[in-house]
Amino acid sequence: MPRILTRRWRATSGPWALLCTVVGFVYLFSLGPILITAAVSFNQTNRSFFPPRGFSLRWWERAFAPEWIDPLLFSLKLGSLTALLATLLALPLAFALYRYRFAGRNALIALTLGPLMLPTLVTGVGLLQLFQYLGWREYIGFTALLVGHVVICMPFAVRTVSISLQTLPPNVELAAASLGATRWLAMRHVVLPLIKSGVVAGAVFAFIHSFTDVNLSIFLARPGEVPITVKILGFLEFGFAPTLAAVSVITLLLPLILVAIVERVSGLGDFIYGDHRRG
Amino acid sequence: MEITVVAEPALRLVGIEKHYGPTVAVAGIDLDVIEGEFVTLLGPSGCGKTTTLGLIAGFFHPTAGEIYLKGRPVVDLPSFQRDIGVVFQDYALFPHMTAAENVAFGLRMRKVPPAEIAKRVADALDLVQLAGLGERRPLQMSGGQRQRVALARALVINPTVLLLDEPLSNLDLKLREEMRVEIASIQRRLGITTVFVTHDQSEALVMSNRIAVMNAGRIEQIGDPSDIYERPATRFVAEFIGRMNLFSGQVTAARTVKTARGLEIGVPVPQEIAAGAAVHVAVRPERTHLLRDKPADGLALRGTLRQVLYLGPTREFHVDRSVAEERRTRDDGVCAVPEDRGRPLDRTDATAHTAGKPLADLRDHGGVVALAFGRVEIDQLHTGKW
Repeated sequence: MPRILTRRWRATSGPWALLCTVVGFVYLFSLGPILITAAVSFNQTNRSFFPPRGFSLRWWERAFAPEWIDPLLFSLKLGSLTALLATLLALPLAFALYRYRFAGRNALIALTLGPLMLPTLVTGVGLLQLFQYLGWREYIGFTALLVGHVVICMPFAVRTVSISLQTLPPNVELAAASLGATRWLAMRHVVLPLIKSGVVAGAVFAFIHSFTDVNLSIFLARPGEVPITVKILGFLEFGFAPTLAAVSVITLLLPLILVAIVERVSGLGDFIYGDHRRG
Repeated sequence: MEITVVAEPALRLVGIEKHYGPTVAVAGIDLDVIEGEFVTLLGPSGCGKTTTLGLIAGFFHPTAGEIYLKGRPVVDLPSFQRDIGVVFQDYALFPHMTAAENVAFGLRMRKVPPAEIAKRVADALDLVQLAGLGERRPLQMSGGQRQRVALARALVINPTVLLLDEPLSNLDLKLREEMRVEIASIQRRLGITTVFVTHDQSEALVMSNRIAVMNAGRIEQIGDPSDIYERPATRFVAEFIGRMNLFSGQVTAARTVKTARGLEIGVPVPQEIAAGAAVHVAVRPERTHLLRDKPADGLALRGTLRQVLYLGPTREFHVDRSVAEERRTRDDGVCAVPEDRGRPLDRTDATAHTAGKPLADLRDHGGVVALAFGRVEIDQLHTGKW
């Protein structure tokens, strides 16, 4: 059927119109705030008008001052380390949980995936109290944040790694062993390359989750060791300003750029959209 | 001085057992495979044949027993130290590697110099007729090509034993028949000791030097293909390989066998079997003929022609003795007649009154015919519980 005919038919049908409306609303509410925030950052005066009045780049200049850049770099560092640690821990954990049956396996699954279900706020308060109870006050700040973030981010990595383990073609490990590969060599040359996208996806999810977390970070930060989200939240007490809009846009773009790069390099799409392409 | 050389079997299994909890997958297997031999483990699914292969490959540890490869005990060696080549049912190719990289894998693990790897990989791909396709990835190849890559990958390392786990079952019929011949010819050319697992009897008959028919974790019979087909040692083997008419009866005073329903079979009953002894008679369908009437010697099964199955080269006539009684009785028989004989009735019928009858007559299901056994046509006669 010629394409134009299909389209005309769809445009006039009720369900199609309904779908268009729903999708339209989804886009409005997901893209709208971003576009408005971006627009606000170009206001002439220190007021958050929308549509912006006048045009100025000075709020963007201010967004790149140490006051904002330092927490941003801090969040980047925290997110990267969290992603690295969470993934390194998730690999053996996923193997253990989804390859072997052992006593306490269910308990371990609950412990590992539990933080996904718990409100992060509660985890944050709990961790703060734990650190204080243990007398580890001096670790509150980066170390405590790192521990907390690994705890709340690891479930994502465990999930993606175990999904990729389940899609591993059967027998490839046995085939490698029959060809003379030790367990380690089979892991390095066969298993890891085949679950790579799951591992990378896990790391990316962990990074994004860490980078955007505020619930947990708000309890474990200390002056000088503040993630960007907590900094933004603190600044909001004085009201929304064009500077904040600029900072928000930067904070928003960073993870997006990261996802785009990873998508290019290793096909993260397999993981976000399902893995039909892996065959 | 005389020197006696006792050939060490390339592969020896001694009392191999594998239990999974209360389930016994392999219940005690002894098997010697000599250098260069092609041995097939044949049996229905769940008979323990694939488990046995996995035990030889070292994928799991036997509950009891010993395995020797060229005299070397390997039961406690991990798979990667056993020097074996395995072709899996699903090929288990590495999807992230090209065909050539797949084939090179075993050599890389053995730290063979790169120049030699390149040469041996090219030779192996050549051997399986994939020269020039080395840069393809498994997903870009057809099932038959993947199968060849898997074969090349297992062969290139010159393993002590080549293990093939139903490698043809994922191919379509035409390709399967082609690969049968090709794998067998490669095996003969390289002289590589091979253990082949299949549930397909025609594969086993075509490819093997010897066949081990397995059932319920044991080897029921081991022998060359014609042994297995012509002289099945157990009832299971008789029924599993090919079609078989089985009749249970008693030896009569006239040295024939008579079934409970009165069918009399003229079988040369050995002297040591006394009259009255319970025996089983097994007759291959292709050794029977179909007659319009009972022959003069009376050694035939008279019944209703229930079904005529056209199989291409042959036509099967299912004769049902129990016309009005219950359907399946042991006295039912199958007669297979080669199509090129044209009329199934004219082969031996001396009375010739049916010779001119057209075949079409026999296609009328429900017609009364006789399934005849000549004296020389009996395949097996077994006494007692067989």
